[in-house]
Amino acid sequence: MADTEHFFTAAGAHRAGIRSFGNKVLNVVCVALALLTLIPLVSIVFLVLKNGLPLLTPAIFTELPPAAGQAGGGFGNAVVGTFQMVGIALAIAAPLGILSAVYINEYAPTSRLSNTVRFVAKLLTGIPSIICGVFAYAVIVLPKTGLIEAVQGWREGWFRDIALWIVTSLPSGFSAWAGGFALSILMLPTILITAEQALLGVSKAYREASYGLGATRFQTIWRIVLPDAVPAIMTGIMLSVARAAGETAPLIFTALFSQFWAQSLNEPTASLSVLIYNFSTLPYEHQQNMAWTASLVLVILVTISNVTAQVVFRKR
Amino acid sequence: MESELKSPAADPSTASPEPRPDFIQVKDFNFFYGRKQALFDITMDIPERQVTAFIGPSGCGKSTLLRNFNRMNDLIDGTHHTGDITINGRSIYDPKLEIIALRRSIGMVFQKSNPFPKSIYENIVYSLRIAGRRNRKFLDETVERSLRGAALWDEVKDRLNESALGLSGGQMQRLCIARAIANNPEVLLMDEPCSALDPIATAKVEELIHELKKDFTIVIVTHNMQQATRCSDRTAFFYLGRLIEFDTTEKIFSNPSQKQTEDYITGRFG
Amino acid sequence: MAEGTGRHILGSFDNALETLRNNVLMMGRLAERNLANAAKGLFERDDDPCNIVIADDEEIDTLEIQVDQEGVLILTRFQPVANDLRQVITSMKSSVNIERIADQAVNIARRARKLNAHPELPVIHSLEPMFAHASSMFADALRAYSDNSAEIARGLKARDKELDEMNRQFARTCTERMAGEPDSVRGYLNLIFIARFLERVGDHATNLGEDIVFAVDAEEIRHTQASRTD
Repeated sequence: MADTEHFFTAAGAHRAGIRSFGNKVLNVVCVALALLTLIPLVSIVFLVLKNGLPLLTPAIFTELPPAAGQAGGGFGNAVVGTFQMVGIALAIAAPLGILSAVYINEYAPTSRLSNTVRFVAKLLTGIPSIICGVFAYAVIVLPKTGLIEAVQGWREGWFRDIALWIVTSLPSGFSAWAGGFALSILMLPTILITAEQALLGVSKAYREASYGLGATRFQTIWRIVLPDAVPAIMTGIMLSVARAAGETAPLIFTALFSQFWAQSLNEPTASLSVLIYNFSTLPYEHQQNMAWTASLVLVILVTISNVTAQVVFRKR
Repeated sequence: MESELKSPAADPSTASPEPRPDFIQVKDFNFFYGRKQALFDITMDIPERQVTAFIGPSGCGKSTLLRNFNRMNDLIDGTHHTGDITINGRSIYDPKLEIIALRRSIGMVFQKSNPFPKSIYENIVYSLRIAGRRNRKFLDETVERSLRGAALWDEVKDRLNESALGLSGGQMQRLCIARAIANNPEVLLMDEPCSALDPIATAKVEELIHELKKDFTIVIVTHNMQQATRCSDRTAFFYLGRLIEFDTTEKIFSNPSQKQTEDYITGRFG
Repeated sequence: MAEGTGRHILGSFDNALETLRNNVLMMGRLAERNLANAAKGLFERDDDPCNIVIADDEEIDTLEIQVDQEGVLILTRFQPVANDLRQVITSMKSSVNIERIADQAVNIARRARKLNAHPELPVIHSLEPMFAHASSMFADALRAYSDNSAEIARGLKARDKELDEMNRQFARTCTERMAGEPDSVRGYLNLIFIARFLERVGDHATNLGEDIVFAVDAEEIRHTQASRTD
């Protein structure tokens, strides 16, 4: 009689029928919206493939960009440049991020320093990429004359000599170093946060067992915790690599661009993202087509990176 | 295998035949988590090469006391104590004693078996590797000795290089026991080792404990009073951080001196 | 039908059960020996076996206490269930019955000593079949315990009725003779008592059998009217 509605009574069946109709409507709406979200993704992929595929030849990777108006050529230097700068960024951000995560998670999880680091890292994840570029410009690109003079004015001694050596060997000018540095600032917060999550994900029981057997904290971290966290850390690294590879703003005034193969890391270097930016604004059809092809290559590289992260390093 | 706890003069090849009745000695021990006191004036002598069981309702402090024997509680911030605990005559809080050395002389088995996500072989030799032992022959011998000691050798001898996580629950716990005894500790601490196991696996572990007590002093915390009666020679009953009664298992379970003990074991409270 | 097949995983459990069993069987052997000695002392008119019976009874008493203590210990330590539980309970009850049988042997020995001090009464040899019957019931009960055989145990109840009948017969014979030989009244009374003791031995052996049936088959056959025949 009361609230229990039996499906087997007529009234109950009727109400059940209405409920299931509502269910079906909601189902349809959800499916439709999901399909809707696929549309921009699918159309981007489609467009990039359609416009970029025609020019995708091995020559792309071996030749240099054509001059304005000319046909042929490739953007091998831009591919290399992207790899170089992402590599530099990784070399800076990965150790820094992982070791910081080790500190804030294993050594002093509740200290004020750790809490500050966590807070700042979360802030930095949202940093506009152009700010990274501006910062790198100020620190790396600009000549260090002022800094060198300041250090030269210090009291004489071995401390001043070492500082002087460091300051004079800092790279300056538009360079791959500057570009890599800018990208590393972009990658660092993500790597740090993912690494901390990865370390948190390691079962506490493993640490207990390790300490119980008489291991030091370092041994526990090095032998048990880090190896177990590696898959998740690698995922974080791959994701941040994927993001950094596609950034344009930080590279515009740090690495600039170059039409030639890079001879050293100390000179302006080409990159895929900047190439796309440059070529798509030129009024020549060939260059615009090249921009599409470069986009395609970039998308492929990013996809490989993402897939590697999610498939190869999937946790058992 | 040097054990930090053996007195320096003792020759390990002629081990003293007389087991000490006070191998682990707790003297007026009080323990605090920050400002909260968890253990009050505990004094007890745990005899060598016997099984001592700690029983009591949840939160009575039995696990806390157990974890103090190998100073695992030091890993928690803000813990401090008064009183002393000595093992084989030597205080575990002696500033000259390294905690690492202490922990290597004491094996611990936890409630939920926690083998490392490595191979069975690597799990057992972990304690040797962190002590710097690398001789392959020695490691192999240790693995066989420990697995035999844990009654697991026949079951896994052909798959030492497979992941430890592929074992059944009972096997994993026996692996943890093997890992704990690999370094030839003097004392084996077990914190509810069978609570996650089915009755047959439990029986196998209990039979194993019976064998192990010939060589090790064993302290076992258990919720399961029947386990205490089956396995232990002496039983200590704790309540709200205090030691209420400590006597032979026969006495405790047939005619305890304290009414509280009787009430607990007969199921009148707790 | 419960048969103790595989060993317990816990070796100490098996050891404790085996010790308990062995102690009960030891009691049984000692009691059997005492009963035989009592018979010897009675029929061969020799006081030495009687004295041995009285002296050896102490050992059986000690064993009874020991069996009880061991039983309680097993119950405390191992919380046996099913067949194990019934076996332990039966062992503890059997020790009581065996001890009583031993007491009857002592009683017989004492009376035999008194009879040996006087000239032999010929009717004494009518006790021999009773003695044999009671002894064989006891021996069979012990065998049933040792072999865990309910079949042997079930047959004891019927044989007890036979023993009761033999007792009645003998008592009648004695009372008849008593009337004609007033000087030997004491002797005849002692003989009647001895027959009574043997009847008690049969009762206790039957109790043993009932407990064994309970242990093996979990069946209660005490105090049932039906006389079991196979």
